[in-house]
Amino acid sequence: MKTKITKTLLDSWAYTFDCYEGGEEDAMNDFILTLKREQTPPSEAQQAGLDFEHLVMEIAEGRFVPEWVDQGGRCEPNSGEPMGYNKYPKNYAGAKKVAEIVRGGQWQMHVSTDVVVDGREFWLHGFCDVVKAGVIYDIKFKTKSFSSLDLWGSYRNSSQHSAYLRCLPEAYEFVYLVSDGEDLYTEAYTPMTSRPIEEYIRNFMNWLKTEPDLMKIYEERWAVDG
Amino acid sequence: MIQHGYEMDFSKQTFGVILYGAPGVGKTTLAMSDGNNGGDTLLIDLEHGIGRTNPLHRMNCNILSAGTYEEVLKDLETPEAKAAKTIVIDTAGSLVDYLKDWVMRTRPESKTKRGEWYPLKGAAIVNQEIARFVNRIKNVMGKNVVYIFHAEEQEKDGELVWRLRCEGKFKNTVWTGIDFGCLIDMHGGKRIADFDPNDKPAKGCHGIEGKIEIPKLDETTKNDFLQKLFETARKNMQAENAAVTERINTYNKIIQSVKEMVEGVGDADSANACMAVIGEMEHALTSKKECGKILNDKCKTLGLRFDHQTRAYVPDGDAK
Repeated sequence: MKTKITKTLLDSWAYTFDCYEGGEEDAMNDFILTLKREQTPPSEAQQAGLDFEHLVMEIAEGRFVPEWVDQGGRCEPNSGEPMGYNKYPKNYAGAKKVAEIVRGGQWQMHVSTDVVVDGREFWLHGFCDVVKAGVIYDIKFKTKSFSSLDLWGSYRNSSQHSAYLRCLPEAYEFVYLVSDGEDLYTEAYTPMTSRPIEEYIRNFMNWLKTEPDLMKIYEERWAVDG
Repeated sequence: MIQHGYEMDFSKQTFGVILYGAPGVGKTTLAMSDGNNGGDTLLIDLEHGIGRTNPLHRMNCNILSAGTYEEVLKDLETPEAKAAKTIVIDTAGSLVDYLKDWVMRTRPESKTKRGEWYPLKGAAIVNQEIARFVNRIKNVMGKNVVYIFHAEEQEKDGELVWRLRCEGKFKNTVWTGIDFGCLIDMHGGKRIADFDPNDKPAKGCHGIEGKIEIPKLDETTKNDFLQKLFETARKNMQAENAAVTERINTYNKIIQSVKEMVEGVGDADSANACMAVIGEMEHALTSKKECGKILNDKCKTLGLRFDHQTRAYVPDGDAK
């Protein structure tokens, strides 16, 4: 039986172990919703991330136009031009830094591959935020300022770079572009510095074997049609 | 000046380096190890710790000692600073402290009504200024930049992990401009420069990876670790460039030609013809996948969908 597997499912499961103290129940509930493939409205943080990514795309593709705030019809005395100023949205500075890197790349590229783990077949797939010239970029947004965070190595244990580098073997690097709306932090991985995706899948499946009810849900809802 | 990728020689490439480690492990001495001549390196001694290094090992180095940030800026305009190839900031954490002092004295909005530090405003100004400062050194003045950080081991999830000690955002944003991040550590009486990012803040590139032993310095040994490291990295970059340039050039040509071809796609027949051409091209890097996406995006705007059974684009509604 061949089943689908995604980095979202793997990371959502992993988070049940890595979540903040006291957040275990919420993390498990979120994982079960993901496992059941139930559509839920994005959380506030997820929506902020989506909005930020949209802003980056608008800037990168040259579609962004700042809001013009005119100053009550007043005109510049010499030229007679209406006076006003461009109003830039919150997080513009950070979005511009990210946009400069991803400009010219292809957005939301679907990638997939077949993986066999311990004799079981999986269809690993997902959407890369941006692919450009051999590099996969993933845009992350932090609602907390970088000042209060210690970011180095934040994504070391994420299955995302392992999954996407495996799905797109022509890519030589995966780069997380992390912004707090003002600044940019980058973290890069290559196939050599990424754990094999099989490890993540194996750990996940070994855990599911101990939870027969959840295994049943997984096999029903993540089966590859046909 | 615009150059072809293959014309670039990288012989004057500059680098950003982070050095960190426990006190007394030799961070400052290592930071001063670029250059053949007196003055090739300029060390901005913000912690006044230069006296703890052996004079023999700072022969190629000028020292900038300053009491305020304004003095640092003024001294960076001197001929000695302009002549240096490498600028060392000792330490990055102290630079933030100098900037805080400067902001408090010069920017009233960084203080509360009671005259205390107002982090919301003050930290933002410090962050802006630090970005401007390091950009000026690395990109405008064209220098190698070496940041020395104090570090501490902290427990996280039952494991000891190293953390750079520095107030504010800089400990995060600094990584974006860094080529080499290096933990200096002692192993069996040997000093090791560790570029392996496995479980610590470290970064290697251009063939500089893993753990490298730092030669023991005595009265006859030249302090030239960074000089050799930079030379090796430049040579590796030239080799990498030679290997990759052709692929990048091919990639750019393919993407450009496919974009032009896709412009002319107007119906299912022309889309399928375009798909066939993309399939027959000799691709480079991720060009095949990207070209497919470019075509697919265009087809969506034309109301075409890919039929997985016939492996062809068809008008929307006909697809199975």
